[in-house]
Amino acid sequence: MKKIIAILLAALMMVSITACGKEFDTDSEYIKDKGTLVVGITDFAPMDYKEAGSDEWVGFDADMAKLFAEYLDVDVKFVEITWGQKINELNSKSIDCVWNGMTLNDEVKAGMATSVPYCLNAQVLVVPADKAADYEGLTDLSGLNVAVESGSAGEDAAVALGANTVAVEKQADTLMEIAAGTSDAAVIDLLMAGAMIGEGTNYDNLTWVLNLNDMQNLESEEYGVGFRKDSDLVEKFNAFWAASLADGTAMEIATTYGVQESIIAE
Amino acid sequence: MAILSVKNISKSFDSTEVLKDVSFDLDAGETIAIIGSSGSGKTTLLRCLTFLEKPTTGTVAVRDEVIIDAADTTKLGDELIRERRSHFGFVFQSFNLFPQYSALRNVTLARELQAKEQPDFKANRKAILEEIENEGRELLAMMGLADRADYYPHQLSGGQQQRVAIARALALKPDILCFDEPTSALDPELTGEVLKVIRSLADQKTTMIIVTHEMAFARDVADRVIFMDGGVVIEQGPAKEVIDNPQNERTRHFLARYNEH
Amino acid sequence: MSFFTSLEFRTVIEALNQGFLRTLELFFVTLVGALPLGLIISFGSMSRFAPLRWFTKTLVWIVRGTPLVLQIIAIFYVPGLLGVYIWGGGDSGRFAAVSVAFIINYAFYFSEIFRGGIQAVAHGQTEAGLVLGMTRRQIFFRITLLQMIKRIVPPMSNEIITLVKDTSLARVIALQEIIWMGESFMKGNQGFAGLVWPLFFTAVYYLAFSGIVTILLNRLEKKLDYFRV
Repeated sequence: MKKIIAILLAALMMVSITACGKEFDTDSEYIKDKGTLVVGITDFAPMDYKEAGSDEWVGFDADMAKLFAEYLDVDVKFVEITWGQKINELNSKSIDCVWNGMTLNDEVKAGMATSVPYCLNAQVLVVPADKAADYEGLTDLSGLNVAVESGSAGEDAAVALGANTVAVEKQADTLMEIAAGTSDAAVIDLLMAGAMIGEGTNYDNLTWVLNLNDMQNLESEEYGVGFRKDSDLVEKFNAFWAASLADGTAMEIATTYGVQESIIAE
Repeated sequence: MAILSVKNISKSFDSTEVLKDVSFDLDAGETIAIIGSSGSGKTTLLRCLTFLEKPTTGTVAVRDEVIIDAADTTKLGDELIRERRSHFGFVFQSFNLFPQYSALRNVTLARELQAKEQPDFKANRKAILEEIENEGRELLAMMGLADRADYYPHQLSGGQQQRVAIARALALKPDILCFDEPTSALDPELTGEVLKVIRSLADQKTTMIIVTHEMAFARDVADRVIFMDGGVVIEQGPAKEVIDNPQNERTRHFLARYNEH
Repeated sequence: MSFFTSLEFRTVIEALNQGFLRTLELFFVTLVGALPLGLIISFGSMSRFAPLRWFTKTLVWIVRGTPLVLQIIAIFYVPGLLGVYIWGGGDSGRFAAVSVAFIINYAFYFSEIFRGGIQAVAHGQTEAGLVLGMTRRQIFFRITLLQMIKRIVPPMSNEIITLVKDTSLARVIALQEIIWMGESFMKGNQGFAGLVWPLFFTAVYYLAFSGIVTILLNRLEKKLDYFRV
């Protein structure tokens, strides 16, 4: 028994020693050395998603990430992550960047190195379509039970406007809250609302009524790409983005996915 | 010549001394009954002989070869203990049959395992196993259980279980068979069948040590009786003399109390 | 009828099957790893060498006293955060990390059941083996083990059914088991978004599987009915 424990401990140490491996001066050297850029995503149309019957990740973010990997001269690999763990995923190097319509909020800015913003977004209030009229013209959300994604920009906005929030794990879960009647309304991304509610979805009886950013006189939110703290990939991305805007590829891809209006082009 | 020679055995658990300086000899073919009230150290004595307990002082010799010496502190290996213990068979008060095996398999299992350790086992596998099984059936027949060979322990009465346990102990052909209160866990109407079996073993000159509360049985079957009290041998001698005409006051007191029941 | 032949149904079922395969892999890997490891741990917690016994009991306390979700997160992320990259970023790394977490967690739960089972086997059984000249090894494998198994089948059945459902915790580090797949259609997957039914439909898989497991374990219990302990 004692022997077995000793062997296990020895094996664990061996693993840790061999796993430490090489040290790199910069993140891009590390990426170059392993030859792959691992992009952390969630399934989030129209930014990162799969077409029916296809196994390939597409979308505005996915396509741009492929081009960025090409620009770095490495392969690209998409990995689905749990959104709440995105900073741990980066720091433990199980992914190299978060590129998934990520709102540049305080949490993100504190925990990662972030790129220039490339896309605009807003938080909107989703309600049952037959009750939409009741919500028109509200100036705050006090007294409402509002479902939000835990840790999201939408949660911040709902709290700031005085709602009783119900935090759930995913934006999609917030819609089930309304459908099940356990919440009055939900706050989700405008981009997401476009894909998930209204005609042709399971939530065709839901609609969005209020732009919470306007209600708070806030700027619209901005999407950016997140890298590890102090990563030199931020500069590489910014240069790549500027070049893509200049030669028109960024706009071309944005048009493919219908997000051209949201692109920050200056 | 004594086949078993026990000298000055003492045993303490923590600070309680349960055996004090016990000595006796046992001749081949002889049956000794150990009597005494509960807690007098009888069972502990048997357990010390069979390596289930380690005596604090004293020696045990089988055919003049010392197999236990409390003064020798070198640790005996498991193998050596197994070898030395093989002089003894042991029948427990609570039978301790293996519940997942049939009566026959309870009897044959240990012998089979030993046979498998022999170098010639592979070559004669079938013949050896057949022989072991036949001997097992014979032993069960001797116990009057020929028709119970394939029964599982829980399908047998207490008396039947104890007879299987006796057959199991005999299967290894021990030099000395030890019984630890073999009928104490049985209903009164079932003790007779077990005592009958032990009596027939005595008739066949099996060397036995029997710890028992059955005085009449001890008197009739044993050659000698040892009376113990408080961990000490108070009196020993020919069975009929000790039981019919005890010399020591404590023996008399014990037997008198016993006869009241 | 048309719903069951629709693209939506076929796509969802295919994804759920894929997720369920992952669930099954995790289930079996955990069982195969945790059963023997649990036995070894139970020996540690019954050791006559006191420091080993206390060490094992402390580990039992830690593993049983903290949530499995936390253990999964710790095992996957903490080595990387400390600069030791053992898992890699791919699916296989996630699966390996989750497997290690589940095997360790369940091994410690199993070890306590084993310990109870072994200690419940009457001491007289061991002594009977000893006086029949059996080795400790023979006594364990020939005598004690089966009696222990008979005693632990009912509590083990509970743990194993719990394991079937606990596999869903693996999605916390994005292992794409069946619940993950079910939820993916709410947010959007392969062109279908806002679908609620796939999540609830996963229950069919769980019920079918736990039903099969229950039947098998009941059969084992029946099989061991031929003797009493």
